[in-house]
Amino acid sequence: MADGTLLDRAGARLTKIRAERTPQDWVIDLGPFVLLFLLVIAFSIASPNFLTVSNLVDNVLRNSTILLLVSLAGTFPILQQSIDLSIESMVGITGVIAAMLISDYQLGVLALLVAVIAGTVFGALNGIVFAKLKIPSFLVTLGSLSILSGSALLLTGGTSVPYRDPSVRWVSTGELIFSIPNIVIWGLLFYLLMTFIAFKTPFGRYCYALGENEEVADLSGVRVDRYKIGAFVVSGLLCGVAGALLAARTSSASPGMGTGLLLQSIAAIVMGGTALTGGVGGPHRTLLGVLVIGVLANGMNLVGIQSFVQEIVLGFVVIIAVAMSMDRRKIDIVK
Amino acid sequence: MIGTISGDRSLSERDEDAADTAAPRLEVEAISKSFRSVDALSDVSIAIETGEVVGLVGENGAGKSTLLKLLTGIHRPDSGRIVLNGSPVQIDGPRDAAHRGIAIVKQEQDVVPNLTGYENLYLDQIPDFTRFGIVNTDRMRSRAEQVIEELGIELDLAAPVSSYSFTERQMLEVSKAFSESIDTDHPIILLDEPTAGLDEDGRELLFNRIDELRDRASFVFVSHELDEVLEVSDRIYVLKDGSLVDEFDAATADESMLQRAMVGRETADEYYRTSRQPSIPSTADVALRADGLTVAGDVDDVSFSVRDGEIFGIVGVEGCGKNTLGRALCGVDPPDGGTVHVHGDPVDPTSLGRMVETGMGYVPKDRKAEGLLLYQPLTMNVSLPSIGTDRTSHSLGGVGSLLSLIDGGKEREMAAESVEQLDIKTPRLDSLVYQLSGGNQQKVVLAKWLQRQSDVLVMDNVTRGIDVAAKEEVYRVCRELAEDGVSMVFIGDELPEVIGMSNRIGVMKKGRLVDVVDAPVGDKPTEEELIEMMI
Repeated sequence: MADGTLLDRAGARLTKIRAERTPQDWVIDLGPFVLLFLLVIAFSIASPNFLTVSNLVDNVLRNSTILLLVSLAGTFPILQQSIDLSIESMVGITGVIAAMLISDYQLGVLALLVAVIAGTVFGALNGIVFAKLKIPSFLVTLGSLSILSGSALLLTGGTSVPYRDPSVRWVSTGELIFSIPNIVIWGLLFYLLMTFIAFKTPFGRYCYALGENEEVADLSGVRVDRYKIGAFVVSGLLCGVAGALLAARTSSASPGMGTGLLLQSIAAIVMGGTALTGGVGGPHRTLLGVLVIGVLANGMNLVGIQSFVQEIVLGFVVIIAVAMSMDRRKIDIVK
Repeated sequence: MIGTISGDRSLSERDEDAADTAAPRLEVEAISKSFRSVDALSDVSIAIETGEVVGLVGENGAGKSTLLKLLTGIHRPDSGRIVLNGSPVQIDGPRDAAHRGIAIVKQEQDVVPNLTGYENLYLDQIPDFTRFGIVNTDRMRSRAEQVIEELGIELDLAAPVSSYSFTERQMLEVSKAFSESIDTDHPIILLDEPTAGLDEDGRELLFNRIDELRDRASFVFVSHELDEVLEVSDRIYVLKDGSLVDEFDAATADESMLQRAMVGRETADEYYRTSRQPSIPSTADVALRADGLTVAGDVDDVSFSVRDGEIFGIVGVEGCGKNTLGRALCGVDPPDGGTVHVHGDPVDPTSLGRMVETGMGYVPKDRKAEGLLLYQPLTMNVSLPSIGTDRTSHSLGGVGSLLSLIDGGKEREMAAESVEQLDIKTPRLDSLVYQLSGGNQQKVVLAKWLQRQSDVLVMDNVTRGIDVAAKEEVYRVCRELAEDGVSMVFIGDELPEVIGMSNRIGVMKKGRLVDVVDAPVGDKPTEEELIEMMI
């Protein structure tokens, strides 16, 4: 069959109505770009140190990578209109597992892989309980948030676990390509991988379908449970990566090292354009939200805004982002 | 007050002389409304007298809903005016409309199931029943009891609405419409498809209420069911493409007259394209066979078979189990007993996912909630069952695994082919499907399964809620599919449709398949014959 002609023939049949875009569509699509641009301009003016290669690469990008990983993790459940609240303690426990395996059993770099596998298993457990026992993901992961953070505290006795292993440290802080820290490369790799998965694989496609309407997906023959579990497996895996890299970067791990990531990641995901109502957005957009948060935090540090105030600002950012991204399905259908 | 309504009863005796001299209760004068340069209504004028029931019919998109929204103040007219009792008014929204005596009973029931009947009745007026901020439920309840007694409606108002039947909820909606407009003489009640979802008894009850209440109210009755409109209305307005095209006296009109006016051409004769119905030889291969299919409480030991290219209709009264049978056949609601064979091979009807592999497809009853990802692109809707599999019209990439990749170009081709094959009218291939009309949406649901190369389709009320012209289109598509050898189980509530389309018709009664009637061209069973078997 001649491809062009088929598409052309169909094209000729398309009615001449222009699909209207609402102002909110524009806000969702362009908002994060504009916001990022404005923040960069504002901080460049406010602080001479902001717009320098060393600040942008060493501080903004490097500090944003962990947030990027956990935000990518959280994107898939949210895309399905579920949520993973356990990411903070997931990062904590996988980091602790890695650090303990290195310091007590000298597993070295292999320990990082074990941490990633552990995260994947925890994520799978979240998903199985959620999908098979039909317990809202909100509650399942709220429970595992507590279970995992308690377990991490129990493992370590509540203290941080330091270790000395230069090769592990290199995984995160080495500079394999130019002078870009490896951790940033890792973040970029997983970002590209997740974007690819979202758009090119059935799993990614079904995430959108499930988030839009699970019943429809089910009645189209999609094995929904499989993909619901899948979202939490991906989430756990990425949290494992984040935990391992964080442990590698600081040459230590503590049970509470993920604290604060949950709210920041939800802010980043939603600001990027993945609405809590599911079915729209995606991991490619999450990067934008992460950069906004990263630039905001870095800039506020540079101009000397104290961290308590920064927390207040972040809270407002989350609420405003959610309010602006509530999706367009409430608009009047025009005939 | 309730008193004012009943007190004026003598005034509103349908006295022809009085109607001639006094201004009509409601007039719509040369009203126009457009949305983003699309004319939804142009130059429409109608008049309603006190005590009159006026029918309003038209295809989807003809402008019925827009007219109702103008009357309830949800939209403002671009030009023209609304005149009540001879004086022009501007209606500022549903509450204002209610104060002026115009209330609406909507298609979707606006009830809060966990509250009681009387709380629902006065939901937006609860602050009026308070004293120092505390709700006087006794007063609210007795007011409510008084209202429904006046209306002659029987409801247990103290019970939560979740315990009401569908019909009872609808009667509650009617009562609510009255209570909202109760301070005016002669309210005008707009009924927007009030019988959708009601069973026979419910309709009877509703029509009786309308009849008894017409001496103190006027009604505008909007429905796709032309026989009902004819039964209930005094006069019938026909809208087409935003314009008023005809007006009928219900006493002298019939369904085909209305249908002609709505569609603008003759449809009844070749509506179902029966001339294209083939006779299926008994030697044709069996596409689908059910043996002793049982779903506890709903379907009892049902056996039948459908041959290649055959349309097998299933009819029965509400609750006979025909919808459950459809779901059980596909594994949506797995059966408790019995077997299903597709193309001669036994299949395991425990999940739709598995049944789809064998060539089965399911077109659900509720298109919007079960059939379509409304806010996703047409392309994605069409390819939904096909991605990650090899049994499709266009292989979208690798085969059958989680890691197979989606080929966006092939996906567009798939959508383009469907647009052409089914003549789907859409602005773009990737338009969000909520933007399409009901008929075109239903074609997208069919396209999903056709692209999956499903050749055994179970369709539950495939033309539900779409207009006459779109129905005709769907019938044409079904005929073409049958000619291509696709087998269909055609479950329907509308008897003429099932009779017109089917090669054979299975009649269900209380979960059992009580009869299978041949329906060859020229020797179709009548509705009466089927009804006799159904009840």
